[in-house]
Amino acid sequence: MIDDQDIIIVDEPELTATERLYLPQIIDGMRTTLRHMFKKTITLQYPEQKREQRIENYRGVHRLNRDEEGRVACVACFMCQTACPAHCIHIVGTESPWDDREKYPLQFDIDELRCIYCGMCEEACPVDAIELTPEYDLVGRTRDEMILDKEKLLEVFDRTVALKPRKNPKISGYAGTGDRDGCQSAGGGQ
Amino acid sequence: MVELLKDQFWFSALMTVGIVVALLTAQAYSIYFERKISAWIQDRIGPNRVGPLGLLQPLADGGKFLLKEDIIPANVDKPLFLLAPMIAFGVAMIGFAVLPWGGNVDLDADGAVDVAAQVADPGIGLLYILGIGSLSVYGVVLGGWANNNKYAFFAAMRSTAQMLSYEIPMGMAIVVVVITAGTLRLEDIVLSQIGDGHVWNIVLHPFAFFILLVTLFAETNRTPFDLAEAEQELVGGYHTEYGALKFGMFFLGEYAHMITGSGFIVVLFLGGWHLPGVPGLQPGDVSVGAMLLKITVMAGKIAAFMFLFMWVRWTLPRFRFDQLMRLSWQGLLPISMALAGYATVLVYLGKSTSIPWALGGNIVLLALTLVISQLRQTPVTGRQTNMPAISLTSPAKAR
Amino acid sequence: MAKITIDNKQFECRDGISVLQAALDAGKNIPHYCYHPGLSVVASCRLCLMEMQMPHPKTQEMGWAPKLFPSCQTPVKEGMIVRFDSDAVRDNQKSCMEYFLIDHPLDCPVCDQAGECHLQDYSYEFGSSESRMVEQKHVTPKKDIGPKTLLYSDRCVMCTRCVRFTQEVSGTHELCVTNRGSRNEIDVFPGLPLDNPMQGNVVDLCPVGCLLDKDFLFKQRVWFLKSADSICPGCSTGCAIRVDQNEETVYRLKPRYNPDVNDWWMCDEGRFGSKYIHDPKRIASPHLRRGLERESANWEDLPEVVRYRFEQHVSLRGGDKVAVVLSPMMACEEAWLLIKFIRGVAPEATIATGFIPTDGEVQHFPAGCDAASAKFTIRPEKCPNRRGVEMIAEQAGGTTCDFDTFVTSAAGGAFSAAWIVGGYPSDWVSKEFGKAAAKFDLLVVQDMFENALTKLASVLLPACAWVERDGSFVNHAGKIQPFERAIRAPDGANRDGQYLFEIAGFEGVYSAERVRATMAMETAAFGEVLEAPLKPAHQH
Repeated sequence: MIDDQDIIIVDEPELTATERLYLPQIIDGMRTTLRHMFKKTITLQYPEQKREQRIENYRGVHRLNRDEEGRVACVACFMCQTACPAHCIHIVGTESPWDDREKYPLQFDIDELRCIYCGMCEEACPVDAIELTPEYDLVGRTRDEMILDKEKLLEVFDRTVALKPRKNPKISGYAGTGDRDGCQSAGGGQ
Repeated sequence: MVELLKDQFWFSALMTVGIVVALLTAQAYSIYFERKISAWIQDRIGPNRVGPLGLLQPLADGGKFLLKEDIIPANVDKPLFLLAPMIAFGVAMIGFAVLPWGGNVDLDADGAVDVAAQVADPGIGLLYILGIGSLSVYGVVLGGWANNNKYAFFAAMRSTAQMLSYEIPMGMAIVVVVITAGTLRLEDIVLSQIGDGHVWNIVLHPFAFFILLVTLFAETNRTPFDLAEAEQELVGGYHTEYGALKFGMFFLGEYAHMITGSGFIVVLFLGGWHLPGVPGLQPGDVSVGAMLLKITVMAGKIAAFMFLFMWVRWTLPRFRFDQLMRLSWQGLLPISMALAGYATVLVYLGKSTSIPWALGGNIVLLALTLVISQLRQTPVTGRQTNMPAISLTSPAKAR
Repeated sequence: MAKITIDNKQFECRDGISVLQAALDAGKNIPHYCYHPGLSVVASCRLCLMEMQMPHPKTQEMGWAPKLFPSCQTPVKEGMIVRFDSDAVRDNQKSCMEYFLIDHPLDCPVCDQAGECHLQDYSYEFGSSESRMVEQKHVTPKKDIGPKTLLYSDRCVMCTRCVRFTQEVSGTHELCVTNRGSRNEIDVFPGLPLDNPMQGNVVDLCPVGCLLDKDFLFKQRVWFLKSADSICPGCSTGCAIRVDQNEETVYRLKPRYNPDVNDWWMCDEGRFGSKYIHDPKRIASPHLRRGLERESANWEDLPEVVRYRFEQHVSLRGGDKVAVVLSPMMACEEAWLLIKFIRGVAPEATIATGFIPTDGEVQHFPAGCDAASAKFTIRPEKCPNRRGVEMIAEQAGGTTCDFDTFVTSAAGGAFSAAWIVGGYPSDWVSKEFGKAAAKFDLLVVQDMFENALTKLASVLLPACAWVERDGSFVNHAGKIQPFERAIRAPDGANRDGQYLFEIAGFEGVYSAERVRATMAMETAAFGEVLEAPLKPAHQH
């Protein structure tokens, strides 16, 4: 609730006689627009011309990074899904087939149509597995086509890795996980 | 051929065809130029993909309008729904019938005037234009009413109130010209601004010219008075539910209306086809060549006004509805009435063509307006008066 | 009632409880790992230490004792003055947290406990943001300690709740602490996995992510889950449970504290035994039989069609040929609505209580104890509401009978129309019953899965799982317990309560609470449910 005392009502400033005629302001405005009519245009003729891009922090299509061995770097921690304000990430996690990590994504879908490209997923990722790339011209004929699955997201990585290399290629698995290899069984295993 | 054309009827028929073709093209290209001008003002390029310089854009647009699915929504009042765009478009076109394009013409060069370069030359041409102009509100009102959409209906209501309000100062501004010229015939009004001791009405009554210009913006629903199409509040305004060619007709109608309005103001205040001191553009020049020159000059003046319309549109923001009403009833109406009154006084004193008298009166009126406006300090604001205010100039304190 | 002062405020508390419990009851957030109200006290985590006023040994003057006391082990005493908000207490909590985290792998992103982990919560609230530990962390392997449970030793805080649970509640002694000092580990004995029928509770008890459920492993992050308070339908004990779901999928069931029924526990059978909810083979839409063909019906016409068929049957054959079988899987409200309907069209109709599934023997825990000293009991009657439907049938009066009598008289041709409610997770129709049912001219069957009966049905109605319904169950002891709906019925299905509501002639949206209010006018017991709190006070 907003208290009455927190409301400050600001009156419009009083107009002078000439201002009340509107005319000086109108003429002023029209002079400005007239000036602009003779200015150089800033339009780029896309797609023939393309703008120079900031590679580092452009927020385009997502990619799922690969680690040095070519495996998906994601550990299926769901942090991106949690952080996503548009609810466009859908992960199905499962036990990983590799020794150096617990969990990996069986399925990793991003609905690129739902995404608002805010980059929160990138911020949230503890292993730098999800990143936004400079790619912005993603098109598709159907809505389904615009839901990128794990394979497609890895393809985006393969496509863009030359342009924007992974920040820290050493990160693989979850750093804190340690080596839990040699899972001991007490005979009751599945 | 020439013999046939010497008959005013056949000459008018030819002019009608010519004007309709020219007008339709002009409307289409008005849209092109509107987009171009908006682009230039915003440091862009504008349509440039269809044909050289994008010049075929209007054709492409027209083709698109023609080929689009013609949707009639459920629950509309079908006859009225179909009628509305026709009225909007038709009414805007027939206003051209009485505009004097090229004065008198001597077709066979025998020294005798054969025809007038005008479709029709009624004695009450001015009244005709006013009447037709008032009809145009029907297009908007019916469009808003028939499609059973509340936003469209709001738009129609706004539009009606706006047109009614602005017709009165417009009438008053025209009365100034009528009193000065002493005639309702448009050709005669043009002629009254020409010759020794006569000047264009804009010189005599700049204030009335300005009022007419403002009211024309309002009558044609152009920014800053396009409240009937305020997208932020009313979706698409009165043509929300219209698509395809029916929307196209509303769209073209708007430009037709602007062209008529421009022609009207050119005739009333800017001497129509006349340019002072230029040979070939005087009432005595009746050759075919002179006629074509006159038509070109008239078209040029209209084009200049069209440019003004567009320039204003891409410069000024929209008025709020209460500001709109206030401007008309508290601003333009009293001033225009005073102007009309002053014009009668001038006629009574026999000084109706005297520049010092007319201009002097205008300047006195302007000064008076400023004084009165300064004395009446009601702020133009929509704020509720029961809310206490804190001035911007004094530091805000929590109460 | 004892009056004690905690942090300068007086509280009244029950006699005989610990200071920690008194503070928790008073709404204070006191960190603790090893203490659990359902287990013995060991005071090993040292996180709940407090300051206490004591008389000076020489002057007998009251003053803060220089040493900290474990509040979980100190019983309340009249006039006791303690405090938790002092620097000494906070310093202790901070040091303890730092100590717990020395070898912790900090793998929260991939740990299933994250979000409901007391290491996270306490280190956020009472710990420090940095670790001073510079040495290599001691890494212990993950252990597969049982068919349903994994043990991540490196996340363990050695609270030994799980060990005490297997000793004191389940009485099966599978878990133990091995090694000493910093090499302390929880483990099972070789060849003796953790597989007792209550072992799932150790996962709930574990305050950190050390013991994890294989069934739920990596399925969801807990913060996505939404909970509904429910009652376990697995047996007639009627444990209070919590149904955790996300996007209409039930991921896990957790016990809810109810001192009258199940305390803090539930059995594995209830916990893991409801996978049938998401079985794709479930009947999900109503069907009508026309001749030999079965066609799907729509919900709008159904009440009218069913009512018309029964009315027609009664006018041709008479009302005493009609029977209704109330399943013990039904909620009381649904049974009441069904009786309302059937007695409306045929007042002489027979009301039978349905098939009672049984399995095994009564199991008391701790293992091997008798009923009197049992802390938890698994009952052989594998349905939640036998007592409830019996109560409702009794209340309705008229002809009633049990299931066996019904089958015998049906085989003898006593009935020509019947409404039979199933809703059991497995096939329950015996051969004799299937034969008897073939004699019915009009047979309405309400069931979850296809069986011999559904093939005969003239009207087939989908039954919903209990998580898709709301209502109340009456457990073995006659305790009426309401449960909430957790998820929506599958596509095409309708809540049983809703269509029975419409068939019984009511209009609008079914709500168990409203039906209960009407029932309370007939049966006072249902009035008491309304007033009883749905959510008993939660105890961690």
